[in-house]
Amino acid sequence: MLRPRHMSRLLIVGTKEQMGTIVAELYRHDLFHIEDFVDQAAPEYEGFKIGMPLKGATEASSELIRLRAAQNAVRISPDEGEEVQKVSTAMIRSQIARDLPKIEEKAEGLVAKRNALDAQFKEREQRVAELTPFTNVPLDLDLYRDYIAIAPMAGYIGEDVEIPFSHEKYLAGKKGEHFIVVFVEIAHKEETERLLADAGFQPVKIPTDDGAPTMAASRYTQEITSLQSQISTIDQQIESLKAEHATFLQACDEMLSADVERAEAPLRFATTEKTFVAEGWVPSDKVDALTSGLVQVTRGSVYIEELPVDLEKDSVPVKYNNPSFAHPTELLMDVYARPDYREIDPTLMVAIVFPLFFGMILGDIGYGLILLAASYALRKVLKGDAGAKLLDTLRNACFVTIVFGLLNSEFLGFELPWHPILFSRALQIGTVGGEGPAAVQLLILAVWIGLIHITLGRSISVVNHANMDHGKHRSKAIIAQTGWLGFMWGLVITIWSMYAIPLMPDLSGMGKVLFGLNPSGLIGVLMILYGIVAIGQESLLDLMELPTIISHVLSYTRLVAVGLSSVAIAMVTNYISIGLIIGPQLKALSAVGVILIIVGVLIFILGHTLNVALGIIGGGLHSIRLHYVEFFTKFYKGGGKKYNPFGMKRRFTED
Amino acid sequence: MAVADPTLVATSAVMTIDMIKASQMGMKAVGAGLAVGLAGIGTGLGEMGIGAAAMGATAENKDMFGLALLFTVIPETIVIFGLVVALLLLFQ
Repeated sequence: MLRPRHMSRLLIVGTKEQMGTIVAELYRHDLFHIEDFVDQAAPEYEGFKIGMPLKGATEASSELIRLRAAQNAVRISPDEGEEVQKVSTAMIRSQIARDLPKIEEKAEGLVAKRNALDAQFKEREQRVAELTPFTNVPLDLDLYRDYIAIAPMAGYIGEDVEIPFSHEKYLAGKKGEHFIVVFVEIAHKEETERLLADAGFQPVKIPTDDGAPTMAASRYTQEITSLQSQISTIDQQIESLKAEHATFLQACDEMLSADVERAEAPLRFATTEKTFVAEGWVPSDKVDALTSGLVQVTRGSVYIEELPVDLEKDSVPVKYNNPSFAHPTELLMDVYARPDYREIDPTLMVAIVFPLFFGMILGDIGYGLILLAASYALRKVLKGDAGAKLLDTLRNACFVTIVFGLLNSEFLGFELPWHPILFSRALQIGTVGGEGPAAVQLLILAVWIGLIHITLGRSISVVNHANMDHGKHRSKAIIAQTGWLGFMWGLVITIWSMYAIPLMPDLSGMGKVLFGLNPSGLIGVLMILYGIVAIGQESLLDLMELPTIISHVLSYTRLVAVGLSSVAIAMVTNYISIGLIIGPQLKALSAVGVILIIVGVLIFILGHTLNVALGIIGGGLHSIRLHYVEFFTKFYKGGGKKYNPFGMKRRFTED
Repeated sequence: MAVADPTLVATSAVMTIDMIKASQMGMKAVGAGLAVGLAGIGTGLGEMGIGAAAMGATAENKDMFGLALLFTVIPETIVIFGLVVALLLLFQ
């Protein structure tokens, strides 16, 4: 917790004959993050070369490529396929030789057919498009060709042109985009073309069909319809092929991918003529399991050593180490940056505070329930690891939202039978009198949250600097962090000493001692001065950032402001739909009244849908923004390397 | 010679105070509206450039989406300040 998983650096040396066995064992454990060997990079690896792939790599790769082509043909995406039951790889291997070529052939055949039909379809469409302008000219298509002394021309033109030779001309279409057909003697062809070109003539190809243009066009349209139905039949066949074999294809994919990854692993190792060396990272508590596994499969003929770790030079891969409820939040962390191995991992804090912020902003039982239902319903649509994590985060936030809804006594903007516990957020919309929302108290509460959150961030920064920096820079950085804290709290205490603010300590009652300040004010001013000196001694330029202290603290007021605006939208929706439209109609029901009631219901649904959408943005984006911008900027560096163990999470197959 | 009717004077005085109160409320409402509206314009101007760049970045690399969305909402703070001022004006 609060730290990434502790990692150990392992060196594995073995003979080349055992490479296959060791690679397979490493792959099975799915623990070893391989540090790629770079040729001639390190002096201690002089004389070593990058390894060659294991045998079978080429076959597996080409098999995989053909499989991917088939998957592509039947349009299987990586997340698809049902994980009903894991199949043993031995069974897949036996099936692969027998079934896969047949499936591939079938898929390729279907796709080739579909492509051919598609090409025909496009060609017919093109023909129809070419014919369309000619349907407005009362001439059969045979009359456009086979002349000896006459040249036909057809195309679009801006406006009519006078042709000073003997000719025949047809003009169709509306002004500005006339379609023109001209027949002139061959002798005058060039001059006519020039005349037409001057008027902005754009020639079109004359179709080679026979008979009336409309007849030809309708013939093609019929063909298009039949092609469409053929294409949809093929699509159905592809779909049924996919439904039948999706799981098998995915299992093959998984197995072959594993084969390829295993076979190509030596490309990441250092080798000599007879031996190979693999370096990599393993979570410290798993070293024993991996070592004993390797010793067992090689019957002891493998050399494994735990290398010393130099935190300054080595970039240690980072594996999160959080309790299970905080796992979904790791997604939000990765969007920003993975933590560095040496710094404090704030995932747990985000996992606790993010739902609280979300709940505080939305704070309505109705919206909480709607989003909770959505977080379960969307699981069918948003597949994959990231999608599941996102929806889990939303689910956690929704639970907190419902709790806050109970405290606020809100359900879709309506008040529940009890009074709000703590503070009311109910506005006066459509009602007269009453207390109105406790806006000021809530805003001050938000400022308190901001002060505490930022103080927490700065405190973590002190710890991080103590862990990560050295010498003079370390003490300077730590003093600067206390300076930021001193400035912020000094400012707050000075304000307390001047004004009485609800929900905050009132220090304004003391007698004045110096410069119109009372003792507490004096302490506050001294803290501010200390802050300025402490920040300035690290970097003078940082003093420019002092105003951000105020803006960052006040930024937390969004927790209340966004929430109140969401309440306002909910209440306005309720007032318009029920108070103004449905309510009066229900008193004296009439035919028109029923329609108005339906309109009212529509407004109700529309308004609340909008508010749910805004609620996700308000609750989700603003909460995460408070973390990223206001909280993380105080201490978080990030930029750690992702722990990516050599192995695979099996979904369809097992050994 | 007109003698002021005491009751009339009293009611007109009450009316005036009511009117002043109403006008004060109106002014507050105008102020609140201006605070949110002008801050909204500021936010819009800020998000205009960021949004365009964020769209570009996301088009280049889909993984940028989360970060791009985040950058886009950074100027929201301005309108939040406007909203807070409006809330303080209306409910204090």
